Amino acid sequence: MAQIKNRLTPFFENISFDREDNELILNFGPQHPSAHGQLRLMLHLQQEQITKAHPDIGYLHRGMEKMAENMIYNEFMPTTDRMDYIASSSNNYGFALAVEKLVGLEVPRRAKVIRMMLLEINRIMSHLFWLATTALDIGAMTVFLFAFREREYLMDIIEGYCGARLTHSAIRIGGVPLDIQDSFLLQLKTFLDKLPQNIKDYEDLLDTNRIWLMRMEEVGHISKELSLSWGCTGPMLRASGTAWDIRKEEPYELYDEVEFSVPFSDKGDNFARYRVYMQEMRESAKILYQTIDMYWACVKNNQTELMAHAPKYISAPKLDIMTQNYSLMQHFVLVTQGMRPPVGEVYVATESPKGELGFYINSQGGPYPYRLKLRAPSFWHTGILTDLLPGHYIPDVVSIIGTTNIVFGEVDR
Amino acid sequence: MRAYTPKDNVQAKPYYTDRFYVAPQVPKQAVESDEVFAADLEAIKAKFEVSDAYIQVGQMVVYIHAKDNYGVLELLKDELQYTQLTEMSAIDWLAKENKFEIFYQMLSMNKRKRVRIKMFIENGQAVNSVEKLFRSADWSEREMFDMFGIEANGHPFMKRILMPYDWQGHPLLKTYPLQGDEFAAWYEVDKIYGKEARDIIGPELRDPARVDRYDSDRFARLGHEVPKGTVITGDEPKIEQSYQEEGGVFMIKKFDKESSVVIDDPQR
Amino acid sequence: MAQHKINYTQDGGLPVALTSIDKIVNWGRSNSLWALTYGLACCGIEMMASGASRFDFDRYGTIFRASPRQADVMIVAGTLTKKHAEFIKRLYDQMTEPRWVISMGSCANTGGMFNTYATVQGVDRIIPVDLYLPGCAPRPETLQYGVMLLQKKIRANKAGNAQKPKRLM
Repeated sequence: MAQIKNRLTPFFENISFDREDNELILNFGPQHPSAHGQLRLMLHLQQEQITKAHPDIGYLHRGMEKMAENMIYNEFMPTTDRMDYIASSSNNYGFALAVEKLVGLEVPRRAKVIRMMLLEINRIMSHLFWLATTALDIGAMTVFLFAFREREYLMDIIEGYCGARLTHSAIRIGGVPLDIQDSFLLQLKTFLDKLPQNIKDYEDLLDTNRIWLMRMEEVGHISKELSLSWGCTGPMLRASGTAWDIRKEEPYELYDEVEFSVPFSDKGDNFARYRVYMQEMRESAKILYQTIDMYWACVKNNQTELMAHAPKYISAPKLDIMTQNYSLMQHFVLVTQGMRPPVGEVYVATESPKGELGFYINSQGGPYPYRLKLRAPSFWHTGILTDLLPGHYIPDVVSIIGTTNIVFGEVDR
Repeated sequence: MRAYTPKDNVQAKPYYTDRFYVAPQVPKQAVESDEVFAADLEAIKAKFEVSDAYIQVGQMVVYIHAKDNYGVLELLKDELQYTQLTEMSAIDWLAKENKFEIFYQMLSMNKRKRVRIKMFIENGQAVNSVEKLFRSADWSEREMFDMFGIEANGHPFMKRILMPYDWQGHPLLKTYPLQGDEFAAWYEVDKIYGKEARDIIGPELRDPARVDRYDSDRFARLGHEVPKGTVITGDEPKIEQSYQEEGGVFMIKKFDKESSVVIDDPQR
Repeated sequence: MAQHKINYTQDGGLPVALTSIDKIVNWGRSNSLWALTYGLACCGIEMMASGASRFDFDRYGTIFRASPRQADVMIVAGTLTKKHAEFIKRLYDQMTEPRWVISMGSCANTGGMFNTYATVQGVDRIIPVDLYLPGCAPRPETLQYGVMLLQKKIRANKAGNAQKPKRLM
């Protein structure tokens, strides 16, 4: 069979770049190695300076909100993995927490501790990945290789827990499916003991590096007003002078029992964001040390439950399903028809590695959510590029996109 | 006779609902039970008409009229310290009462409180843009237009954001099927190859449970990779899983299991 | 005058080797497969991981290139959406022949779990694919094994002939 001719015209014919005012329109993306995904930027240039930036997104729009309206609640959990695929468990957790708030479930303490461990491991993984890719974009290949090495250790731990490297689905509505494996704590402790030295290695390579400082300092400055107005959250907000961390201000799980501080800066430039990310990894390590003690306390107090007890919404433990008739019936109904939460709506925000991850669920008492809105932090962190890029030069675009830490599964959903 | 399916809501339906099942409600509290929320509601009520207000799961929900949305959000931002518009979107109630419900999710960092402002608009009615108050509404309103077709008056750039500019239909409407209409199914083929190529490329295979009778011919098992089109009879000898040709490849060392070391502890 | 003291009978006869044009060309092609970075979604992260320190793709001669003009193989890693579909065709057309395509992950193979209005149900509707890697997301080992299979496929074909236009499914 002969090959089919395509109808696509050369792309430069679609935009008029040859204009009277000597303005050049540069098309950046949607498949650009340093765009961290499928970001397309239309940049209006005067010489090398950007006068207007127009981010174009939607190249990874997969219709997750529509999928949610056609799925039972438990079925949607694996789909949340693919939102912020750098830190899947944090998305699982955000969704699980929203449904738990909707139906009013109380999660057992041991499950809470395990969830916190997973969340903080995911945060370190995400920040390491951020560091690796941003450093690679700016040209620091060594940091890329170093950070990926450490990330693989964490992936091994997670893989031992749930079997997947990237798309975990490690958190269920009402708890966690499994207890942590035997080697988990030992591996985690080994990693945490080495982490400060690793972070110091990265900082030795970057903090006083002339190129790194030139690309980072005084570049991409976001004022406090702009960051609030654009709905920035997470490290983007904290680097611009607002010390707002949902783990601290509206504590969920056991975050009110652990000691940690919220790093923030009032500089607002790329370098401030870099410092906030590095400091947050240290704080996460601090939390992880405390969760290990909390886990041992759970073991000591014989708190073995991992899933909430709510027969209307959550299947019974496997042992009960296999031995007791009523549990088996409940399980069958929950798997085939799904749980039916009460009528009402809920908006729950959690602090994901990127910022505030919110799930708005409107339930009409059926097994499918009537409306589910995913509030992903990266969506607005991409939008801020409209106001942030004008005035900067082309090389700054790469470092600014790098430090905003956007993930396109989350932006486009 | 073909079963009747409603056309105004084509989303998945539960195939069984107990006739006597009455769904419980998520409990609502009166606004007076929280001092901060009560004060905020008083401030809103002083200037605007509020049709309903309650607290649900720790957040205040306030129903206002659609014409007041800019004023209420301005009041919340300037006087009541709700500095961030975290989220806004719409809910499709067209099948039930020919209306859209729009919600604005507000956050006050000083008070550590979240408020949800809600309002109803008629089908085809436009809302006032709040983009001048919160820049985050710039993209949210575009997304709302893209997904529901609700336009915002006074928005600087009212175009689609997630779907391509030449897309037809608004995906999050309840009348829009999950797997798309005919336009969506052929979008990429029409755009790249033209309508003539539809017959050659063929329709999308959307049934995940479909089993092709050629599957066993075209896909080989791991360790038994064969060129495409080879007829697999099933009695092939088990070959050792290797990627190099038997004779080896020039200048490339073959992997030697005996002389290699397996690392048990990756963190050694 | 210095005499070169290489013993052609030792070390398998290096540096002289007798071979056919086909083999030497295929040897070169298969051992320096430069890949186009086409990370679209989650699988792109695993593709990066396979290029990074633990899995080290450089051992295979696979180096990621940002320009389609320098690339031999396009690794489509992730979900292809309808909005993006035209760009994959553009970039595929810009690659020089001979060119190969690896479809990595369920989304690229068949649309995977995203059976929705916005997702292309398999990249093979747009461009011809040589190798399908199953998994969501496939592990880096899967990608490396896939590249090995592609190398084997390249060596099995005749190098001298012009590449036949591949059938578009």
